[in-house]
Amino acid sequence: MVCDKAILTAPTGLHARPAGELVKLVKSFTDSTVQISVSGRSVNAASMLSLLSLGMKCGTEMEISVEGGDEQAVLAAVRDFISAIKE
Amino acid sequence: MIVSGPATIWHRAPAGEPVSSFDEAYAIVHDALERQALDNPVLAAHLEMLEDPVLSETVRGNVAAGMDALTAMDAARDTIISMFGQIDDEYLAARADDVRDIFGRLRDAMTGGGGASAPYRVSKGCILVAEELFPSDMTGLDFSSLPGILCHKGSVTSHVCIIAHAKGVPIQVGVDVSGIREGDTVSVDDPMMGGTPYIVARVRAAGRKLLVNAGNLDEIKAGIAAGADGIGIFRTEFLFLQRDSMPSGEEQRAMYREALLECLGRPLVLRTLDVGGDKMLPYMPLPPEDNPFLGLRGVRLCLEHPDIFNVQLRAVLDAARDVRELRPDWYEAGSPMRLMLPMVCLVDEIRQVKELLRAIDPDYASLVQVGIMVETPAAALDAAAMAAEAAFFSIGTNDLTQYVMAADRCNPGLARLYDPFSPAVRRAVELTVEAAHAAGIPVGMCGEMASDPRATDLLLAAGLDALSLSQIKLTLE
Repeated sequence: MVCDKAILTAPTGLHARPAGELVKLVKSFTDSTVQISVSGRSVNAASMLSLLSLGMKCGTEMEISVEGGDEQAVLAAVRDFISAIKE
Repeated sequence: MIVSGPATIWHRAPAGEPVSSFDEAYAIVHDALERQALDNPVLAAHLEMLEDPVLSETVRGNVAAGMDALTAMDAARDTIISMFGQIDDEYLAARADDVRDIFGRLRDAMTGGGGASAPYRVSKGCILVAEELFPSDMTGLDFSSLPGILCHKGSVTSHVCIIAHAKGVPIQVGVDVSGIREGDTVSVDDPMMGGTPYIVARVRAAGRKLLVNAGNLDEIKAGIAAGADGIGIFRTEFLFLQRDSMPSGEEQRAMYREALLECLGRPLVLRTLDVGGDKMLPYMPLPPEDNPFLGLRGVRLCLEHPDIFNVQLRAVLDAARDVRELRPDWYEAGSPMRLMLPMVCLVDEIRQVKELLRAIDPDYASLVQVGIMVETPAAALDAAAMAAEAAFFSIGTNDLTQYVMAADRCNPGLARLYDPFSPAVRRAVELTVEAAHAAGIPVGMCGEMASDPRATDLLLAAGLDALSLSQIKLTLE
């Protein structure tokens, strides 16, 4: 398993639209499981509803962990996607 | 902004047969959402929510615990909403509306409503009045003929409001609509809609170009950073005014090069020196005129003084060539450098400028596209002939209004006549657009009228391909 931290910089928090795109990205990695945790609460990033329930705001720090195939590449892709969310 | 009109009361049309299990309702809604999500990012997010195993597992768990399908769905909806409800953030709390929408569709499918939110026809020009609206309700609406929406439930940050604003439609939520009947006159007060945001939304929704007017490099940078599709008019006078000698060719070349680079490959409509009339250069004395606005100004003055004009034309060509060496890819669909001639009245004036350009560089046509500002009645009336020589038109409504209406724009006593909405000015705009489109050239507008939200729908209906705004109050995206 590999882990890394990321910070959400979207000014108004994680909206449904980018969250949906994030879920789509995570689901495309069929060989690995991605978990995102905020303040000790960890959810499966392939679940849109769980992801939104984290209530991520601008500046929220999260830990991304990946288990399965091609862990480093998946981690980098998810981390880059999250830091690129601007809306 | 406040809009008024007759009310039409929203109701969903029934369709389809009732089904008995959650799985069947899921399949109906999934099928409908999959089709609607293709061109609607909000519904694409809804599809992700529907496909989330948390949703179906919660419902199935309730069914396994002995609930009937409808009760199981209602209970699952409340469980999931409570996950969001604990969040003290209005944006995320608004996601609860999305969950309600999905379960509303599932319930609808189960009870025979079809679950697909069948497109609902609203009579043209009527204000839509609803107790509650969901994003899926918005998919079938024809926003181009919808002046406004009144809704009881919902918040200004809900998706329904975001969708309405993106389409340029004013919406007011939190209004008690229970007493309103079909046909009553109602008004919608939406302070978030109006001015520049309204123009931006309408132009974007119509798929036309949004440009920005600029008088210096900073304004070009700000306009492009805000997401403009290009610069609709770059007034080069700033280089010439407030100094005591003519700017050199090298000085001009450097400035135009930087201006074009700042546009990142998007068009830069550079208006050639437009002095005379009320704008005089201290180092270029001209004999006084009785009627300066009908005098030696714009391209007329430039053609009279080829010594000055040639320096500018050469600088523009040099700058366009410099940029092409750096970024040849920006020139693949024609040069982004557009040369716009002011005060043109005769087709021959365009030809004369092209002759000057050709004398400087026989290959000038690959470096600049030459178009005109349509701001005289002569240019509008003879637009068909102008379009044969010009690569584009841009309508300058400030002078066009003054000349069509024979009303000095500086005379407050003539404000009643100096009105771009006058029938004759509108006709001049229509003539210009018709001629441009018949010749296959683009036509934009860079006068003040383009920045007036009351004119936006009129101008889009007239067929303007681009509006160039005089100021930017927020991002244009």
